[in-house]
Amino acid sequence: MDMLLTEDQLALAETIRDYLAGTHGPEVLRRLDADGNRDPAIWQGLVDMGLTGLLVPEAQGGLGMGLVDAALIAAECGRACLAEPLVDTAFVGVPWLIMQGKTGQLADIAAGTVKLPLAHAINPWVADGEGTALKSVDPLRNLFVSANDNNDPYLLDLAALMSAAQLVGLADAMLHQAVEYGKMRTQFGQPIGAFQAIKHQLASCAVAVEFAKPVVWQAAQALQDGRGSASVHVSHAKVAATDAAMLTAETAIQVHGAMGYTYEVDLHFWMKRSWALAGAWGTRAFHLKRIDEAVLGGTLPIGPEHTFA
Amino acid sequence: MHLDYTPEQQAFRAEVRAWMEAHVPKEPLVTLECREGYDSHVAWERTLASGNWGMVTWPESYGGRGLDLIQWLIFEEEYFRVGAPNRANQNGIFLLGPTIMEFGTEEQKKRFLTPMAKGEVIWAQAWSEPGAGSDMAAISSKAIRDGDHYVITGQKTWSSRAAFADWGFGIFRTDPESKRHKGLTFILFDLNTPGITRRPIRQLHGDTGFAELFFDEVRVPVENCLAGEGEGWNVAMATAGFERGLMLRSPGRFQATAKRLVELYRKHEAEASPAAREAVTQAWMASQAYAYNTYAVAAKIMAGGKIGAEASLNKIFWSELDRAMHRTAMQLLGAAAELKRFDDGTMNQWLEGYIFSLSGPIYAGSNEVQRNITAERLLGLPRVGAG
Repeated sequence: MDMLLTEDQLALAETIRDYLAGTHGPEVLRRLDADGNRDPAIWQGLVDMGLTGLLVPEAQGGLGMGLVDAALIAAECGRACLAEPLVDTAFVGVPWLIMQGKTGQLADIAAGTVKLPLAHAINPWVADGEGTALKSVDPLRNLFVSANDNNDPYLLDLAALMSAAQLVGLADAMLHQAVEYGKMRTQFGQPIGAFQAIKHQLASCAVAVEFAKPVVWQAAQALQDGRGSASVHVSHAKVAATDAAMLTAETAIQVHGAMGYTYEVDLHFWMKRSWALAGAWGTRAFHLKRIDEAVLGGTLPIGPEHTFA
Repeated sequence: MHLDYTPEQQAFRAEVRAWMEAHVPKEPLVTLECREGYDSHVAWERTLASGNWGMVTWPESYGGRGLDLIQWLIFEEEYFRVGAPNRANQNGIFLLGPTIMEFGTEEQKKRFLTPMAKGEVIWAQAWSEPGAGSDMAAISSKAIRDGDHYVITGQKTWSSRAAFADWGFGIFRTDPESKRHKGLTFILFDLNTPGITRRPIRQLHGDTGFAELFFDEVRVPVENCLAGEGEGWNVAMATAGFERGLMLRSPGRFQATAKRLVELYRKHEAEASPAAREAVTQAWMASQAYAYNTYAVAAKIMAGGKIGAEASLNKIFWSELDRAMHRTAMQLLGAAAELKRFDDGTMNQWLEGYIFSLSGPIYAGSNEVQRNITAERLLGLPRVGAG
């Protein structure tokens, strides 16, 4: 029994964090917003970092890593508000193909030449697909009409888990932006971040985010291990991460005051992605119901001796 | 990350479970906050010690079993699984004990830890003063050196367990010229020393769990000082870290409450609101989140890491979770919530628990102070009053 994220896992996530911080800052989001949302050079950079092959087995030219590693990096993608469909293709699509025994495309995915738009009956759209375009509140999401009746539960679990992982990263980033604004903005002769009314709201966000993270990592491990209860844990992760991100988004805009309501301040990119992912791959109500059925319905053993049931 | 218990860990769980099932009192004990309840809880401490379960993580030479933090968590899970009584000596084993382990001399460890693990000496804490609550650095009770003794004069308040306990610990101003965090010293004292008057304080529920302590030229030997003279603030902060962080509130307590809440919900499902239903599901989610986080912190400590200001996040989380769960239970109970005993004669533990849960966001440093610490030390926001 060991809940430790290894130094290797943390070091890899930090490398990706630094890479994205250096190459995918707010100025890039603004350029994409103005010039068409996707940039082959950004995608190639992610391919060159090995990220498209993260979950592809080594035999097919990938790194052969697991869902916990992928969730940690998905959180970094959230932190950077990454627009390219890396998480969908490489962290959801790849394990879904592997589960079905479809390994034919894996080498091409690792090489970055194939992307996998993920269609599922739970969403009224498909992201980065083709056909009739839909407009998202998130200016960097490319959505299309989907008439797909795919109801695959494993695809749903993978995508909900990776949405949750992105949401904790998004929440972290919004909290950081609000803290930085609170240090810089002066009113009544002091930085507004020195006022307890601001501090306490941001501290509550920190509590929500920090206690959502281990739920997400635990769910990733449960799904990786194929635990029978994994779907419940994924739903728990999605609800906890959504609640943390929504609380942080609303708090962050409040801390920014009227500036937070402008297009000029960067916060809105992260906030809108959070809104999008909060509803994607199963609403809060959908996931809450799955937990409710297990916990109140009695199909999941509960109590102190069942921490990892 | 490996989320399976080893065969050894499973065998240990079975051992704890068998012992607990054989020894835990069949009926819940009367509250610790009265003479009768205190005595029965101390008797339980001694039963635990007879099985060598007093404090499993301590070295065998100090009355422990030398076990690691994962085994401690397993022990706690099994402890709360059977609804074992609250620990009369929690101020000792969870707060002072780890502090002595870190700062005490070898002689102090031998003298204080073993009787603590065996439940022979029950400890009270003595932090707050009438003028020093959340602002603990405002402490004014003095301990003035006189030869090989300190002479303590002053007043402490809200001293948990002090109405009935044997010994106490707290910080006192040993340098009368000093201000704020400097000049404070961490001192252990026998509560029966001449010059100490205990005045029990009647609490919200009508019982007397904590007390005021009046010190009138109380002579305490200098060897009862922990770490150096003037080091009191740092030592107290370490104790507070143990209190807010890992040990005082292990997850099993809240997972057991969440499970009882689910059972209560099933009884009241017909008249319960959808909001109450969601609150019950949330109780399971939050208690599980707290458990995962604790396992992660334990793994980090076992790998050589430390807990710092994140202990404040912990304290905010468990105290507000506990209050929320008991609030939900009170809503589910409806008109029966106010009854001290239900019509079948059983105690209304939800009412007792709800009242106690209201103290959680206050004791061990109010949650407002914890949010300040979180904002300033974890998030890096400017200190209050900074211009």
